Amino acid sequence: MTAPVLVPETEVAESVDYARPWKVIVWDDPINLMSYVAFVFQKLFSYSKEKAHRLMMEVHIEGRAVVSSGTREKAEFDVFRLHEHGLWATMESDE
Amino acid sequence: MRRFRHEGDVVVVDLPSGEQEILSQVLSDLRDLLIKGAGDTLRRLKPPAHLDSSEAELAYREMVDDDLLRGRLEAIELVESTLSGAELDSSGTEAWMQSLNGLRLVLGEQLALTGFDLVNDTLPDSASAALYVWIGWLLEQLIDAASHAQGL
Repeated sequence: MTAPVLVPETEVAESVDYARPWKVIVWDDPINLMSYVAFVFQKLFSYSKEKAHRLMMEVHIEGRAVVSSGTREKAEFDVFRLHEHGLWATMESDE
Repeated sequence: MRRFRHEGDVVVVDLPSGEQEILSQVLSDLRDLLIKGAGDTLRRLKPPAHLDSSEAELAYREMVDDDLLRGRLEAIELVESTLSGAELDSSGTEAWMQSLNGLRLVLGEQLALTGFDLVNDTLPDSASAALYVWIGWLLEQLIDAASHAQGL
């Protein structure tokens, strides 16, 4: 039987944090063109035209929409790409 | 005349010389603002990623701000080098879109627009407002051409 390996507390906390699911939210910025927002969703996430349009309309009407989810690293990358395109995106832990 | 059209899988840029000059000037202004890091004017180009943790937000900013700035400056450079006419592939199209949208976001911020100004007929009567409308018109054309070129 293998003896348990002691891991420093900070490392445990960090690994738990990174393993948690995260969601990426795009918020409505009425300055952005609706066609542009839908195009960016299609381009960045390979969503169908219909799905991209539906998400864009959700942002427009509800003020926000969850556009992707996954690990913290993936969420961070998605937020970065959305910021590169001038969209107001945030990420939060899905709990 | 369309300023952007698709030919197969590329987007062709075809701007009259007067419009090339205007874009060249405003892109140069945008570059200056980006390099100066001109505070509130750039607010829409640097939205927060974390609303619930200032610590996480600080870490995110430290991680991405240099890359975001470099990407925007490289995109501007590409647009400047293709202003007089070009066939844009997917990455060239992306650089144009990011730059045109960046210009709209900055102008929108400077003009304190709500996004409903055209519909409500409350757009200020100024050269900057005209520029904002014109750049939006260009961006719509580019999106349409890129959607066809990229089969989206």
